[in-house]
Amino acid sequence: MLSIFAKAEPYLFLAPALAILLVFLIFPLFWNIYISLHNVSFITVLRGWEYVGWTNFFDLFKDPNFHTSLKVSLLFVGGSVALQFGMGMLMSVLLNQKVRASGVLRAIFIIPWTISAVIAAFSFKFIFDYNFGILNYVFHQIGLQPIGWLSDPNMVIWSLVIANMWYGTPFTMLFLTAGLLSINPTIYEAALIDGATKIRTFLHITLPLLKPFIVINLILITMWSVNFFDLQLVLTGGGPLFASTTASLYMYRQAFEFGLLSKGAATGLILISINLAIAFIYIKLLRR
Amino acid sequence: MTISNTKAWFFAERALIYALIAIFLFVTLSPLLWVLSTSFKRNDEAISFPPKFLPKNLTFDNYIFVLTDPNLVRSLINSFAVSIGSTALSVAVSALGGYAFARFEFRGKNLIMSIILGLFMIPVVINIVPLYIMLANFGMLNSSPALILTFQILIIPLNILLLKNYFETIPKDLEEAALIDGCSRLGVLRRITIPLSMPGFAIAAVLSFRFSWNEFILPVVLANRPDSMVFQVALYQFISLYRIEWGYLTAGITLAIIPVLVLMLAFQKQMIRGLTLGAIRE
Repeated sequence: MLSIFAKAEPYLFLAPALAILLVFLIFPLFWNIYISLHNVSFITVLRGWEYVGWTNFFDLFKDPNFHTSLKVSLLFVGGSVALQFGMGMLMSVLLNQKVRASGVLRAIFIIPWTISAVIAAFSFKFIFDYNFGILNYVFHQIGLQPIGWLSDPNMVIWSLVIANMWYGTPFTMLFLTAGLLSINPTIYEAALIDGATKIRTFLHITLPLLKPFIVINLILITMWSVNFFDLQLVLTGGGPLFASTTASLYMYRQAFEFGLLSKGAATGLILISINLAIAFIYIKLLRR
Repeated sequence: MTISNTKAWFFAERALIYALIAIFLFVTLSPLLWVLSTSFKRNDEAISFPPKFLPKNLTFDNYIFVLTDPNLVRSLINSFAVSIGSTALSVAVSALGGYAFARFEFRGKNLIMSIILGLFMIPVVINIVPLYIMLANFGMLNSSPALILTFQILIIPLNILLLKNYFETIPKDLEEAALIDGCSRLGVLRRITIPLSMPGFAIAAVLSFRFSWNEFILPVVLANRPDSMVFQVALYQFISLYRIEWGYLTAGITLAIIPVLVLMLAFQKQMIRGLTLGAIRE
């Protein structure tokens, strides 16, 4: 009796956490497939669902707005990852150069990460405002034409990238700082004695040692950018028209703006495939 | 290279480093300082052109408005209740799970751990449609328990990892000695493991609170009625329902930032350590 209990003990410890994850994460994930093959909308959600096969997916691939959203996603993710990673790397390296008060500076730099995306979006809505935003005021002062940061269909995506850079960079900075701190300082002393320049030291010692951190960081920020839509929802609502609707926001709008829950679920499954592809590519790169 | 030349290089490099840091500092802080300053302006001054950096007539009206509006106050209370409930549940459940990984050898250990790590990668947004349908069928939409339970999927994988690594820093011998002295397993947990793990719990709690307090997508979908709304959603409704009143909104933004900011700044050092332990040791 006692030995059975001893064997079961670790599983009992794990049970509550696994139960919650099973019900609210794993089950819904697979249920997505069932929902996407049926016709569920706000109207039919509590009634019997009609089986419709692949119709939702065909509708999706025929929808020009979905094509647009994939393009918008590509620009948004590409721009966000490049800027967040570039700036985050630069800042973590700079703060690691025996800078005065680096602890206080790090504390200040992580502030954007402590606030919610909604708050970040509101702050930038204010800054980007056409009529009284501070950006257009500065443009006015230096004699430039005001820009429709959020109303110009060609500009709006880059405004989102800028806001997302502000919001997301601190995470990369913090993550890579953790990586830099894990490197044994005696390695640098050895390099210094060998007369290596700072840039050479960085390229040949720091970067290779930092590689696992860089890859995990890139996986995380790329996936987050693919799935992120809090910012777009509050800042532009996806507009003007579909100009700033990323694929993730397209999913939300289909499901909760137009009530087409099944079409939303189908979009979600496509997003998952994109996520898996990204993870796969990065892990391949890591192994090389 | 002569000595004075080297020195000049050194100073040039330092100057460049500090200049870049100063620019970054400005970019990081200016949006928030701008919001903070606007929150003390009267509404007509908030949208005046040209904008003034400091309020001409300092006013607390915006804060008074936010803190007396019944819907917004309700949502603030909801936010605190949901965040505290979700933090408590997640730390408790993850501590048990983390302890199992740190202290026991059992069949399927590595498999379960990799599944949990894999779950960390699954974007929660993809689950919002099934979660909405599921909770609608349970009649649990617009309730705090629904939010507390669904928030767990954002937090538990990270917390288990973090706490597992923390427990592993506590020497096993300490517990074994107590066991030999006749202490029960639960007694060991209560008298030795839990007191020693308090710093780890603190990091997990701060992170959990941050995720719960800031979460927007789950509550905007699952609880958007005025009586069950959290503060983030209330601010969003606020902007889409009426003409934007920037004075009120910026005051709301400032209030929304304060709780997490205070926690994060207080635990900043432990945070970096926690991330190093949590994310990297795998």
